[in-house]
Amino acid sequence: MTAQTGWQRLSPRMLLVHPVHELIRELPLLIGGLVLGQTTGNQSWTVAVLALTAVVGVARWVTTSYRIDADPESGQVQLRAGLLHRKVLSVPRNRIRSVQTDARLLHRLLGLAVLRVSTGQEARAEHGFELNAVRVDEVPRLRAILLAESSQPVEPTTAEPAASSTVLARWQPSWLRYAPLSLSGLLTMTAAFGLIYQTGAIGPLQHSRLAESALQAAQRLGIAATVAVVAAVVFVASVLLAVLRSLLTYGNLVLSRQADVLHLRHGTLRLREHTYDMSRLRGGTLRQPLLVRVFGGAGLDAVMTGVHGAGESSVLLPPCPRSTAESVLTGLVGDPNVVTGPLRGHGRRAATRRWTRALGLPVLIGAALAVVTALTGTSVVPLWLWTAWLAITAWCALLAADRIGALGHRVDSNWLVMRAGSWERRRDCLATAGIIGWTVRQSPFQRRAGVATLVAATAAGTKRYPLIDVPEDQAWAVAAQASPWVADSIWAIR
Amino acid sequence: MVGGILDGVENRESSPVVAGMVDPAHPPSRRAPLRWAIGGVVPWLLLAAGQAIWISFDRRLLWLHIVIAVVTVLGAAISLAVVPLWRYRVHRWELGPQAVYTRTGWLVQERRIAPISRVQTVDTYRGPLDRLFGLANVTVTTASSAGAVHIAALDVAVADHLVAQLTDIAAIGAEDAT
Repeated sequence: MTAQTGWQRLSPRMLLVHPVHELIRELPLLIGGLVLGQTTGNQSWTVAVLALTAVVGVARWVTTSYRIDADPESGQVQLRAGLLHRKVLSVPRNRIRSVQTDARLLHRLLGLAVLRVSTGQEARAEHGFELNAVRVDEVPRLRAILLAESSQPVEPTTAEPAASSTVLARWQPSWLRYAPLSLSGLLTMTAAFGLIYQTGAIGPLQHSRLAESALQAAQRLGIAATVAVVAAVVFVASVLLAVLRSLLTYGNLVLSRQADVLHLRHGTLRLREHTYDMSRLRGGTLRQPLLVRVFGGAGLDAVMTGVHGAGESSVLLPPCPRSTAESVLTGLVGDPNVVTGPLRGHGRRAATRRWTRALGLPVLIGAALAVVTALTGTSVVPLWLWTAWLAITAWCALLAADRIGALGHRVDSNWLVMRAGSWERRRDCLATAGIIGWTVRQSPFQRRAGVATLVAATAAGTKRYPLIDVPEDQAWAVAAQASPWVADSIWAIR
Repeated sequence: MVGGILDGVENRESSPVVAGMVDPAHPPSRRAPLRWAIGGVVPWLLLAAGQAIWISFDRRLLWLHIVIAVVTVLGAAISLAVVPLWRYRVHRWELGPQAVYTRTGWLVQERRIAPISRVQTVDTYRGPLDRLFGLANVTVTTASSAGAVHIAALDVAVADHLVAQLTDIAAIGAEDAT
């Protein structure tokens, strides 16, 4: 093992990257400087801001260094950084759970990659250990050193996965058809608008010629037509953005497996690579948002220790054909019944609760409308309100029916499977060996209905896997079947 | 010496049908309801004090004063008399040879079990009110943030004994399922 012990600098090529990233980070300041320069007629403000960001960027490289202890058992990985606030981050080498790399466009052009190390204790990215950045050809060696404690070192797989590894899934352009069905485009637009608003660019824009001509056009069209046009524009833009975002993030995705190491790379411009140790895998989640499910798609998340359970860091497959997601999960789990097998429903009382929860509010509103109509005559409540009420009630009823159909579980001594939800349906497959706690929770309403929420606690994924409205008498039976330490405990009633 | 509970893989094919669980045996300290009552009533007293100051400055909107006063009195009465006794009836805990098991809550009730072999830390917490009444709270954490077991309002001697027992049985940090 060629582990080095001295403090090392990151790649000197970062001297080119840091100032640019610093500029992007300080964009609001830069825009402020530009505006100030324009209004005062003195462009030295802009120059000053530019020079400052460049100096800060260079200083970042000079002040950052890292070292890796030679001993994989008791050694540490340390990162020393900070311009004004010096800080030293230390990670025990035997606590390293996964290694990821991330290369934005500029990094890729210069042959660099950001290397992130995550441990089981804290999986949040902001406090993570990050080497920004090292040369791409150094990455396989560093990864092998860092993951030396867990299984065998990874082969250098910079370009294509090596021949010994099997490709589990490969991105297809047809996967893009599920992208417009997400809200990510709308969210991106909202975020962009928020950013523009924050930088104060909205002020000058308000009085610009563009805004005035738009206002005039709106006045000519009338309110209804304007709303329709704006809605159409927002819709088209959000669809385009969602597709573009999906293409940029997940394009060229390759998920491969090499013995006990799972390897995921994706991204067209910004390239990201994750290496997961299979021994830390505690299952997977098939995610089927309503719109994706309607078109026969599904996404796959990993349930893994040391990896954040929600968000992009745990995604193994973005929305793709359901059969692909299912076959990959079957390959990881090793039991097709876990992934596609029938589930045990939660019975009549759970169904009743779904109906009352979905229809309670619409029925109340309907009753209120009826009372108002009866008291004051038919003219007060317009017809369109009744139509809207009918549509919303029907929609709620459909959601409730779909939720009832989804609710179910399946348990044996190795796997616990839980399915729930309509708008965000998920099927969580959890290895029972990873479950380290059970909670049976009952609200007063649940006590009256004779059902309970059973929560499986695990160190992996989202940590908390609830199974809602299980019949009371089945809750502990499920827990006992999954965990022998519950069945063998002194409290169990046989 | 208790081994790792999940090590017993060969026992796993026997899947006994468990009909349910008996409740854990031990109640919290006898002084717990008093501590909960005082802890619960203090916010209402602060609210009442604020109201007293308000009414001494501004006597308009008398109906609003009356409504808020009624709500305050009701809230204080419930948190003083109902909640602590209800809580005391629900709260139970017990330490078995392989697991720690608790029942907590009042309106929303939870029963939680965690295997001792997967325990990471055992913490004792004593707030000012707890110290006044000679009480201690014990928190047993595992590697899952959803699996921490809280045992509230124990007599200090009982809590100390429990912590000693737990740290004795658990090979802390050996197998935490991460």
